[in-house]
Amino acid sequence: MSALILLRAHTRIQFLDLLRSPGYVVPTVIFPAMFYVLFDLPFARMRSDVANATTLAFIAFAIVGVTLYQFGVGIAQERGRPWERYVRTLPVAIAARFGARIVTAMLFGLLTAAVVAIVARALTPIDLSLAQWLTVAFYALCGGIPFVLMGIAIGYWTSARAAVPIATACNLLLAFAGGLWMPPQDLPAFVQAVSPYLPTRMFADLLWSVTGSASAERALAGLAAYTVIFAIAAARGYRRDERTRYA
Amino acid sequence: MILRFDDVGKSYVGTRALEALSFQIDRGEIVALLGPNGAGKTTALEIALGLRGCDRGSVQLFGTSPRNVAIRRRLGVTPQESGFPDMLRVEEILTFVAEHYPAPAAISETLAAFGLTSLARRRTGTLSQGESRRLAVALAFVGNPEFVVLDEPTTGLDVESRRRLWDVVRRTGAGRSILLTTHHLEEAQALATRILVIDCGRLLFDGDPDALRRRVGTRRLTYLGTDGPVVVTTANTDEYVRDLVDSGADFSNLEISQPSLEEAFLSLTGGAK
Repeated sequence: MSALILLRAHTRIQFLDLLRSPGYVVPTVIFPAMFYVLFDLPFARMRSDVANATTLAFIAFAIVGVTLYQFGVGIAQERGRPWERYVRTLPVAIAARFGARIVTAMLFGLLTAAVVAIVARALTPIDLSLAQWLTVAFYALCGGIPFVLMGIAIGYWTSARAAVPIATACNLLLAFAGGLWMPPQDLPAFVQAVSPYLPTRMFADLLWSVTGSASAERALAGLAAYTVIFAIAAARGYRRDERTRYA
Repeated sequence: MILRFDDVGKSYVGTRALEALSFQIDRGEIVALLGPNGAGKTTALEIALGLRGCDRGSVQLFGTSPRNVAIRRRLGVTPQESGFPDMLRVEEILTFVAEHYPAPAAISETLAAFGLTSLARRRTGTLSQGESRRLAVALAFVGNPEFVVLDEPTTGLDVESRRRLWDVVRRTGAGRSILLTTHHLEEAQALATRILVIDCGRLLFDGDPDALRRRVGTRRLTYLGTDGPVVVTTANTDEYVRDLVDSGADFSNLEISQPSLEEAFLSLTGGAK
């Protein structure tokens, strides 16, 4: 069948599966916004430049968390199941299945980011034009790509049991050290030293470039490099799983 | 030609799963691959479906490699274990699978044929074992494929559910080629036009069910005689019963049963010597 019909079919069952797991979806969608209210709101409500910076950082946090979980944990749990073995006998290319996963994670990530944006709009003097918001949405999707690949790598290199703690640790450590929770200049000195080289920091820089407080070029170059690294890790993990399970 | 195995060998670390297995399935045949657990059925099937490669020999599905995604449009398969995504409804899973095929069966007809109409809106996580097996077999047919592969279709079902599922498979399978694996001799004889018996990765028998019955000619006959229960294994039950009646001896609870698969294997391997 045409690739588009299959992409839609696989995206639909992933969405149905998510929609019927409100115990997973609701906390995941609300968590970044809740963190934002608890930690950054007291500062963000004072000044619009602080509101802009913190909101954009939490949008990155929302996208990173969802993609790492959707891919890392999702793949690790599903790849050993009988259903996975069955789906491999259906006439569908692996690209359509990954495509469906990417679409699902991106839409879910944007929804989570939108909750952060709505909370910020309601409670802080955030000051972004419509054009800036649209650029933010576009950058949020681009910046999510290396994290999608990182999630796939985690999914293929870890067991179903290990995936949750490893995805959580990667998410929280990278978010903290990348300056997504607090301004990078407030981080401990040794963290400040590594922070500029982390993918989360580059993602934040990319979003901050919308208000002119960071360079988009440098961030994009760094994220492109991470995209290559994580793509290699993901492809090797995928092939390793193929060899052991379907040799 | 639907499926062709040429001298196929496959080893896992330390064990040899298949040894020079050769057979061919032609259009319209219903072939049962029969063997005990560990005989190599699952390995043979996984190689036929492109889930695994082989170490030696060659396999052709519709004249090409089983790893070719496009030819799977002509192939329908049952999930071996009933591990469906448990949040999805029966009709959603059927629709999802049907969307992969160019000319699928109508979902409502498939639901009706497999007795799933009243379960259409149930989530798969709440199905009983028998209902799950019916859904699993329905998934192999919903794409309306030329070639259907049923991997142990009735495992875990009671006798009555098993017979009912056989009826459905016979009806829905008309005009298709079918390969099924089973470890029930009775199932192979009920469904197949041709039976392949494998054990230890080798083909022990290839022929129609009558030929297998002749090869495995013995029946087990039990009854309660005056001195207690009697068990007789004989190739000619008719003659034995006639003699028993003529002798005028008192007996009750006469039963004649098929040899077990193990007995069949003994006679097959014995015959090969």
